Amino acid sequence: MRDRTNEQWLAELRGPNPGKALADLYDLLVRGLKAALGSYRGGVEANVGDFAQEALIRITGNLDSFRGESRFTTWAQKIAMNVALTELKRRRWRDVSLQDLFAQREAADRGPAAPQLTPEELALQNMVLRELQRMVDEELTDRQREAVVAVLLEGMPISEVARRMGTNQNALYKLLHDARRKLKRQMEAASLSPKEVLAAFEEG
Amino acid sequence: MLNRGEVLKLVRVVAETREVEIGCDECFERLDSFAETELSGLEASAAMPLVSDHLDKCADCRSTFDALLTALRRT
Repeated sequence: MRDRTNEQWLAELRGPNPGKALADLYDLLVRGLKAALGSYRGGVEANVGDFAQEALIRITGNLDSFRGESRFTTWAQKIAMNVALTELKRRRWRDVSLQDLFAQREAADRGPAAPQLTPEELALQNMVLRELQRMVDEELTDRQREAVVAVLLEGMPISEVARRMGTNQNALYKLLHDARRKLKRQMEAASLSPKEVLAAFEEG
Repeated sequence: MLNRGEVLKLVRVVAETREVEIGCDECFERLDSFAETELSGLEASAAMPLVSDHLDKCADCRSTFDALLTALRRT
C-alpha cells in the first residue's frame, strides 16, 4: 500500500475512482483487526473481513466528520475497532437478560463476614453496608439503580446494558455519572469518607 | 442486597467520581488523537486529562483504545 496524506485519502475516497483507496484501506483494517483481536477466543479470525467491510461503510459514510486531528488511517482504524468490539460484546452477552441478572442477585448468598473481625469492626461494616444499601435503594432512580447494578457491580459492558435499557452508550454513561455523583454527595452528607470505608473493608 | 466486595467496588468508583466528566461520544471523538499522542511518547493523559479520566472509568472505551493501540503498533 502506498503512503497517502490525509488529503489524498479524502480526495481519492470522494473521487470518481475510489476503488484502489478502498482496497488499500480494507487491507489495512483487516491487518489491524487481526493484530488487535488475535487474542479473542472463538472464530474472530473468520469475521475480520465482515468487520472491515462494515467499518468501510461507516467510514465512507462519515468522511465529513473526520476533523484531521490524527492520521486518516488512525481515525479509520478507530472506527473498525469500535465496529468489531461492539459486535463481539453483543455476541458474548447475547444470552444474558437484565431480568435474569437481577433475579440471580436476589437469590445469591451474600456470604458471611470475615471471621477475624472484632465486634467493633463488624458493627462498622454493617453500618456502612446498611447506609450504602439505603442510598442505592432510596436515592437512585430505578434506571440509575439498574445501571449501577448491571455495569458497576456485575461488570456488564455499558453498550450492552444500554441496548437492553433502550438507550445508547453515551446516555447510559451520563446516567451512571449522575448516579455516582449522587452517591458521592450522599456519602458526604452521611459523613462517610470513602477513604475510611475502603480502609475498613479492605482490612476485613 | 450489596455484599462486602460490592461495597468496595461501589465506594472505589464513587471516590473517583468528578463533577465534570466527558461521555463516551466525546471520548471516542478524540481517541485517535489521544492514541497518536501516546504512541509518540508524549504524556497523553496530561495533554487530554478528560479523555484519560474517561478511559479509567469506562471499560467499553478502554477496550476500544487498547485495541486501537495494538493495531497501530503492528500495522
